[in-house]
Amino acid sequence: MVEEKVLITGMGVVSAAGMNVAETLAGFTSGIRNIGRTTPALSPLDYPVFQVSAPLRDSGNAHSRTLQLAFHALDEALTDAGLPHDLSGLRVGVCMGTTVASQLNDMDFYTAYRKTGEPPMEPVEAFLKGNLAEAVAGAVKARGPCITVVNACSSSADAVGVALGWIRNDLCDLVIAGGGDELSRIPVCGFGSLSVFSHEPCRPYDRDRQGLNLGEGAGVLILEPESAARRRGSRSTLFVGGYGAACDAHHLTAPRPDGSGLETAIRVSLAQAGIMPEAVGFVNAHGTATRDNDKVEGGVLVRVFGAQVKALSTKGFTGHTLGAAGALEAAFTALALREGWIPASAGFENQDDEIPIGAVREKTAISARYAVSTSLAFGGNNASLVIGCGS
Amino acid sequence: MNIAGMGMVSARGRGLAALEQALEQGWVPPGEVEVKGLPSGRLLVYAVPAEAMSDKTVLAKARRADRFTRMAVLAASDALQDSGLGATVDKSRLGVIVATALGPHATTFSFLDGILDFGDAAVSPTAFSHSVHNAAASYIAMTLDVRGPTLTVTHFQFAFQQAVLLARTWLNDGRCDAVLVGTVDELGAVMHHVCGRMGKPAADGRIKPFAFSAVPETVPGEGSVFFLMTRESTGAAYALLNPLVLSVPDVISPAHRGGTLQLLDTDGMAKDETAYRTAVIPGMPVAGYAPLFGGLLTVSAFQAAAAALMLEKQRRYASPVLDNPHSLSLLHETSNTPLDTVLCTKLDCTGRPAQLLLSLT
Amino acid sequence: MQDQTKEQQLTEIRAKLKELLVSNLNIEGVTPDQIKDDDALFGEGLGLDSLDAVEIVVILQRHFGVEVKDMEKGREIFRSVNTLANYIVETKQQGK
Repeated sequence: MVEEKVLITGMGVVSAAGMNVAETLAGFTSGIRNIGRTTPALSPLDYPVFQVSAPLRDSGNAHSRTLQLAFHALDEALTDAGLPHDLSGLRVGVCMGTTVASQLNDMDFYTAYRKTGEPPMEPVEAFLKGNLAEAVAGAVKARGPCITVVNACSSSADAVGVALGWIRNDLCDLVIAGGGDELSRIPVCGFGSLSVFSHEPCRPYDRDRQGLNLGEGAGVLILEPESAARRRGSRSTLFVGGYGAACDAHHLTAPRPDGSGLETAIRVSLAQAGIMPEAVGFVNAHGTATRDNDKVEGGVLVRVFGAQVKALSTKGFTGHTLGAAGALEAAFTALALREGWIPASAGFENQDDEIPIGAVREKTAISARYAVSTSLAFGGNNASLVIGCGS
Repeated sequence: MNIAGMGMVSARGRGLAALEQALEQGWVPPGEVEVKGLPSGRLLVYAVPAEAMSDKTVLAKARRADRFTRMAVLAASDALQDSGLGATVDKSRLGVIVATALGPHATTFSFLDGILDFGDAAVSPTAFSHSVHNAAASYIAMTLDVRGPTLTVTHFQFAFQQAVLLARTWLNDGRCDAVLVGTVDELGAVMHHVCGRMGKPAADGRIKPFAFSAVPETVPGEGSVFFLMTRESTGAAYALLNPLVLSVPDVISPAHRGGTLQLLDTDGMAKDETAYRTAVIPGMPVAGYAPLFGGLLTVSAFQAAAAALMLEKQRRYASPVLDNPHSLSLLHETSNTPLDTVLCTKLDCTGRPAQLLLSLT
Repeated sequence: MQDQTKEQQLTEIRAKLKELLVSNLNIEGVTPDQIKDDDALFGEGLGLDSLDAVEIVVILQRHFGVEVKDMEKGREIFRSVNTLANYIVETKQQGK
């Protein structure tokens, strides 16, 4: 086992909050929420969504928008880490999370199939080349372990956790871990049918919250054992301290009311990091703004950390980016530790009496070595990451 | 790590007795389905029979589950039962890893039907929530009350091998004391069409694992296989399993080759199987059991189950299809010749291998 | 005359609802005619849950042309086949 720290040596992010880390931090500071509405090209349904409107870096080999988003974030992460785009000399693992991109759900293909019985095969061929982790591994010539995690809303949090395990088990020298998801008609229709959308900008943890808004984006973290990173010249002081995951075993779409799965996940991550709850400076909560999620999650956060813990949800700036959420929020958590501040929990105004914790209402200075990022997913998966900063 | 229990649902039925019977019996003709849009209008397939998926007790909590999920729940439940550890394992330290190449696509298309027939505002939330790849893992957790980590992974080329590697990581880490790791992939009307158009259907219904063809023939299959894995130091097991993902082909020393069998995951689903010619290790008998189960991107799991059974029973089963244009040293008859190692070899589309090494405990 | 028509409508709707509940929600071990009009659909009765509730919303849309806009009110509407049938008839009457 590799017992040394696993550093985050590079990060790349893209979401409605910003096309890269600098833009995102500026956006968090400004408090501006780049929210739009679904367009007819996406779906005839009308909901607020957090779309990435600016052009993405052209990677030239992306078979889907999800891949384009992922490559955009990957580019920033590799540059940030001071790594080349050809990693063939190293043992490199790739673990990426997604939801929509894993499905064969091309509407043109299926419409043609129903109508004519002889649809074009190009969408299927694109799908078979579009496995997120396989595509990223191919692009950087990674030859180590390679997995696409499809764990609904906790996919890329789990991907970071898997990456941590690979490094600690000495399966690779470096892991590209993250996730991506594009805005797509399928989840717009699907989440709409589950009655979990808000018709307004989402209000995580707020007393009057009505539901979530979808978003799109990608987040990528480069993870390396500390000694290897230092040899390469990395000066990053960010690290992944621990990962916990536990299943509710309760229901396909509703969280276990007592939140015991999430509580287990958090405590396992703290134990792996070797810290007590008091050491955690803040929690980047899953905070989707649905009635159920925020109530259950809030109750757990109080049980574990006490009512005084600072909490926020960045989904007020990004929307719920599904497979990208865990990695984006891990990156935001790391950035907050490094920069010494957390943004306002956009959309939160009034505390809900049923949730014993409130979110921060304004940009808040923090001075902490550790923070936690939580994710709850359909299917009952719960994930918790402990992110650290400092020598 | 130990393979402490196994469960399987395939075209040959459910359970290890069905697996054993299939290995003894050998090749049987596939079924045939009508497929719109194919010149012949039909396709030979190895489909899981409905009676293999009927179990009101195990599926008591799976009322709304589709075929994809039901196959996985049955196989996973059987693996836990087979291990004998169901009553004693700490469920908070039991993990689940489901590997799939194509996911529950039949339900995805059913969901798309809803959009096309009824509009975006009147789609089925049940279909949507079951079309996500991790629905199967969720149902496994609910059925068996698994409270440890659950993960669903996809990979077109090495889904099972990557999942096994991850299971070992979780066990080594101390994250879990046992892991249910397995695969599930299904057929369906649309997939029949896709397989018929993109693959080369075997007109005689026989997958030929040793043809190493540049345009291999296949008979699409479906099913689920699960293994209950524990650390090597724990209890009884079928075999030890060591994933050697992306290793060099030749991992067995010449001294060991007599007691070793090599299984090739050649099922006709790859675009080109010619690279397998150089993956065959000289001096060892070779077999391939894909003709029993059909072509699946996750056929490796079925081969591994066959390997584990052979090691436990100390029985080598004849390869079901013996077409041998490259004059390999095939396992051509069933016998009780001692066996201490089985190497399961799969190659990706660039010819790189991922191998699973199973050995006697 | 109007009441009789309404009662006939309700009878037809109740029967159709029972068929749809059994088929669309995959209810096993219960046939449509075994569901009593006032049986509780959720909790202890037929044992339906939150996912079934949103599926019933779709059943109402697709097969009866009525919508449920407020899921909080849904609790009362979904209590039994009777309450569902009454809701359908009342909503359609309001729509005229």
